[in-house]
Amino acid sequence: MSGKMKCSLWGSGALFLVALAAWLYQLRQGLILTNMVNSFSWGLYISGLAFFVGNAAGGLVLTSSIYLFGVKQLKPLAKLGALTAFANVTAAMLIVLPDIGKPFRLYNLLLHPNLMSPLVWDVIVLNLYALASAIYLYILMLPELTGRLGWLAVKVENAHDFSEKWAKRIAPVALLFAIGIHVVTAWIFSTQGGRDWWFSPAMAPDFVSVAIAVGATVVLLAGALAYGTGKKYEEAYRTLGLIIFIATCVHLFLMMNDLVIHAWYGNGETHRIMEIAWGDFAGFHVFEVAAPLLGAGLLMLPVVRRSMPLLALSSGLLIAGVFVHRFLIMPAAYNNIPMTITPFGLPNTHWSLPIASGRFFPGLDTFLDQYNYSPSLVEVVILLGIMAYAVFLILLAVAKLPILAKEKA
Amino acid sequence: MKMGMVIDLEKCIGCRSCMVACKQHNAQPPGTWWNRVFTPGSHRHLTPPAKGVEYFLPVHCQHCENAPCEKVCPVGATFHAGDGAVLIDFDRCIGCRYCMAACPYGVRQFNWQEPERTHERSEYQEKYHYGYPREHHHDGRLVYTPLRPKGVVEKCTFCAQYRDKGELPACVRACPGKARFVGDLDDPDSEVSTMIKARDAFTLLPEKGTKPTVFYLPPKAREV
Repeated sequence: MSGKMKCSLWGSGALFLVALAAWLYQLRQGLILTNMVNSFSWGLYISGLAFFVGNAAGGLVLTSSIYLFGVKQLKPLAKLGALTAFANVTAAMLIVLPDIGKPFRLYNLLLHPNLMSPLVWDVIVLNLYALASAIYLYILMLPELTGRLGWLAVKVENAHDFSEKWAKRIAPVALLFAIGIHVVTAWIFSTQGGRDWWFSPAMAPDFVSVAIAVGATVVLLAGALAYGTGKKYEEAYRTLGLIIFIATCVHLFLMMNDLVIHAWYGNGETHRIMEIAWGDFAGFHVFEVAAPLLGAGLLMLPVVRRSMPLLALSSGLLIAGVFVHRFLIMPAAYNNIPMTITPFGLPNTHWSLPIASGRFFPGLDTFLDQYNYSPSLVEVVILLGIMAYAVFLILLAVAKLPILAKEKA
Repeated sequence: MKMGMVIDLEKCIGCRSCMVACKQHNAQPPGTWWNRVFTPGSHRHLTPPAKGVEYFLPVHCQHCENAPCEKVCPVGATFHAGDGAVLIDFDRCIGCRYCMAACPYGVRQFNWQEPERTHERSEYQEKYHYGYPREHHHDGRLVYTPLRPKGVVEKCTFCAQYRDKGELPACVRACPGKARFVGDLDDPDSEVSTMIKARDAFTLLPEKGTKPTVFYLPPKAREV
């Protein structure tokens, strides 16, 4: 293990432990340690769920496309793809835990599941996807589980053929789950007729396109970090760059399409949404559009893909843009109070009924019709810690398991 | 039997007695209000809007027949009682707050910390307790407890602890204007059914398809 690797493992491991401590502190004190209030009741944690779910799927879409669609040049990155998928989907499940007021009651999901709830569907597909990506990774590693790792291998006659055959068989199922986690995670929001910002049939396809873009970027970044940016994998990186660019364009198209339709008709609710989306959060919106577009555009250039710093910067831009996109799921949903009416005698006006904050801030009104949410330190630390967990898991697997293709002369 | 409530906006004087009675009887922690009365169109209660008419609108849980909060609850903690009231099982709720995202009326409230701590933080006098003092179970499920567990969601129960004894909800009893009525919506001759038919009753956000069982009688148009 190189010194750099050891350092990264210690660093990410330590950050995860700090987040764990922050969560224990929050368990004792309650969600009062977050900056959420009754009128703005989901924040950074649930945005984080959408973010990690996005990172997770691209990985498997990629690996399955190798076996389903014969995109052979991506093969050296297959195991890395399955690994980043597993790390991110488990991170997605972990980031939900601190958002739960009574996490020790989660067994109620098994005892009394309400099959009407999209949240139950999401728990099911996320778990199945985690299982699928773990099995997939295992099958891909099987031929190389020899020597010190021999005890991990199942006994088959020809491990290489077995691995090829089953990787091909599982690919369609894995692809289905990969698409499923985005569609179902989007449905958590887009089924809610009470929130105009979410209630859109464009959300699920948009989640899929964002995921392909950002998931492929995560694999590209991990691949470049592991193998370098040399000639050897030029072809694989070029293919990834193309996938990322197309998916980013599809995502921006779906998003803009939704906004144009809302904005054009311009009824009261959408007017308020646009005010929040383009007024209070204009800077964020410019970034969520410009950063992924710029990042994906740069990744189309061979010169960028050949330079590690430029590749990292472009990937970082895209991932950061998608993160902001995920954060923006919340403000226009929560600051546009659904309980808005046209009062008697005041046609053409809209009036929102304020909501009790549920918390005591000396400077804050008891009833709120708008709230400037920004995450608290505890929320930020926990989110960073879960990101560190994903990094730690990927690094540890790379160090200990036959994830990377062996250098052959 | 399908219980319903009628609120006569002509009789409502905007005094917020129902808010206070509701809060006290149901031991709501500081900052938590199951019941809200505001002046539509105005940014300040009891102040007429610049144009239009002054009237007051009390809003609490609408006990919807097609309740999105019940549909989204992953563990079935939110449920319909036999008479149609929507209740929360405090022993079952996992505190995911999906119901708060789903409810269009903004009536659901979360317990961000232990209620005693909220009392301290809000500088309530020590040992000042208020509200119905005992736990209440409906169909074996905990629907009321004076000290709410940290991390669960709560809202109006139509005062389940009183109704199960045949008494009226606190807001109905406390209303000085006698603007609130409860009765059986299934019985076409009940007082509430008659009022709904005779006085052009309306519901809140009918376009959301939630089918509320709380009905409002419009105020008479007044010149301002």
